[in-house]
Amino acid sequence: MNPQLEINIIASIVSVACALPGVFLILKKMAMMSDAISHSILPGIVLAFFITNNLNSPLLIFGASLMGLFTVFLVESLNKSGRIKEDASIGVVFPLLFAIGIILITQFAGNVHLDTDAVLLGELAFAPFDRIFINGADFGPVAVYVMSLILLINLLFILLFFKELKITTFDAGLATALGFSPWIIHYSLMASVSITAVGAFNFVGVVLVVAYMIIPGLCANLITDRLALILILSAVYGVICSILGVQLAFFLAGSISGSITTVLGMAFLITYIFSPEKGILASYGRKKRLKVEFALDTLLIHLNNHMKSPERIKESGVPHLKNHLGWNEKFAKKILERGIKKDLFSIEGGIINLSKNGIGKAQERLSAIGINSLSEEERHD
Amino acid sequence: MTEKRMYIILIVFLAVSQIFLAKIKVVSTTSMIADMVKNIGGDKIESYRLMGPGIDPHLYKATTSDMMQIYTAEIIFFNGLHLEGKLSEILEKLDEIGKISKAVSDGLSEEKLISIEGFAGLKDPHIWFDVGIWREAAVNVRETLSEYDSENRAYYLDSWRKYDEKLIDLDTYIREKVEKIPGNLRVLVTAHDAFNYFGKAYGFEVLGLQGISTSSEIGTADIRNLSDIIAERKIKAIFVETSVPKRNIEALKEAVRHKGFEVEIGGELFSDSLGDLGTPEESYTGTFKHNIDTIFNGLMN
Repeated sequence: MNPQLEINIIASIVSVACALPGVFLILKKMAMMSDAISHSILPGIVLAFFITNNLNSPLLIFGASLMGLFTVFLVESLNKSGRIKEDASIGVVFPLLFAIGIILITQFAGNVHLDTDAVLLGELAFAPFDRIFINGADFGPVAVYVMSLILLINLLFILLFFKELKITTFDAGLATALGFSPWIIHYSLMASVSITAVGAFNFVGVVLVVAYMIIPGLCANLITDRLALILILSAVYGVICSILGVQLAFFLAGSISGSITTVLGMAFLITYIFSPEKGILASYGRKKRLKVEFALDTLLIHLNNHMKSPERIKESGVPHLKNHLGWNEKFAKKILERGIKKDLFSIEGGIINLSKNGIGKAQERLSAIGINSLSEEERHD
Repeated sequence: MTEKRMYIILIVFLAVSQIFLAKIKVVSTTSMIADMVKNIGGDKIESYRLMGPGIDPHLYKATTSDMMQIYTAEIIFFNGLHLEGKLSEILEKLDEIGKISKAVSDGLSEEKLISIEGFAGLKDPHIWFDVGIWREAAVNVRETLSEYDSENRAYYLDSWRKYDEKLIDLDTYIREKVEKIPGNLRVLVTAHDAFNYFGKAYGFEVLGLQGISTSSEIGTADIRNLSDIIAERKIKAIFVETSVPKRNIEALKEAVRHKGFEVEIGGELFSDSLGDLGTPEESYTGTFKHNIDTIFNGLMN
């Protein structure tokens, strides 16, 4: 038994098991579903306790799972009605169920150490100590088997119904038009979310499950829009962050779920900034490029307009750019250099002369915004 | 050459001393148990505790070093009776991986344990508030250590005897203090129901504002009823606990004021953990002397 290695393995399996259904939650704008489930299962635990009168009974976890399914059923039913937004229907259902749990505890079991923490929520650090023994032989941690099974179910569900999931997630209306009810797929997906969440709570606690369901999918979605690729990337993110997080936890001698969640947060931040398509650096660069291109186009059109007018010398002078177009010297210099480099114009004695290339480009731009430059010129004449 | 020989002698010496000095690694969950284990195990053991001072066992968060301590430990002592919540399920299974895991509450006589109202099978886990029960728990620790390390049986018996005497002294100290409090004033009002064993053992009526579960919420009716009782019986002091927020007890004080009676906040009691290291309250006996002195001074003021 090597607990550190086993924790790495368990964390990686849980991360992929959670990240896959999590991708659909994000796309369906229901990211906080797992957090909601962590609260709404309380009455399930309490009712199961009233039946068993035993805090260690596995029936309490069964009660939690049933209540998880009931939660997603209620949320999906409200969504289906079309009168309430996804986030709002989560917000209606889980406080209500949680409150029922609190009332039940306060009324009937105020002196029992009964809460979700004490009954259900596990700790990844201790998962290696909960092992399977058959005839005295050690078969490894229970968590590996349970979470692998859940991962396998999720994987099969996604592989078998990939097309259906894709259509219902992005366009439920189209799915209906194509002749199959999106609701069966919705309910099945939500059932898998619920089972995954409750199963994972049992071994790693709430914070990590919520983080695993949301952050890897979010990062993947910042990199690509293709569903299959998002799913694969989210699994990659989950596994890499888990392994880095576990190492960090051992380095700090600290909390494992805290460390993994921190690493996931950092991974998100890095992706958010540096993502090649949707990152803020990329969009900043794009904005800057657009500004230069727009300025160049403005200059070309301006020069083109005054090519045959009597004020041509004045209008095409380099110092005039500052007054007429409101550019500062540095920016003007940059635009001029770029235009010369692209062979759109040349400068002789402080006067900008459009090249053939430049005239063509200016007219192309003008017609692109719907102005027929030729007729304009003819009017000038 | 001589240098090399010196090294060899040093290494042999270290190896031999390691065999003779090897300490038994013991992990305890709460600070109360760790203190007991240190008293009985003395220098034959190396003690580690999971839950430090001021930590509510319900809110304990594990670290990787806690995991490694359990992994390398030979013996693990825990409270049992579901005090450790979900963790207790794992602690109970540790013997499967070749460790000795023992709940100090194991085998305590049924009539001494307090059942939770409405759920006969469930017991209140806060057994350390009754010094008599804690003495029985100490026997569990002594026996477990002696069985595992039978060569040092006499040592454990001896240090247990010293610890037991300390506990008897503490019990006498508490009883003498309580004797001085008039019967009608022996009411202990605290934030949550941790002191039932204390009440039962030393003849106190215990009124808690909140149940054991951290998920139960305080109703306005609870505050009203309790403030009625305090005003009616003119109870002089109510108490806050180190591991529970003060806010609720302060609300109670205000409610009593509205009934036309002034009740004092009598001070802080340690409930779910011992005091900080380096203070007189770092030991079990120090903590409980502090508690009874605080109660005495509050009620007799």
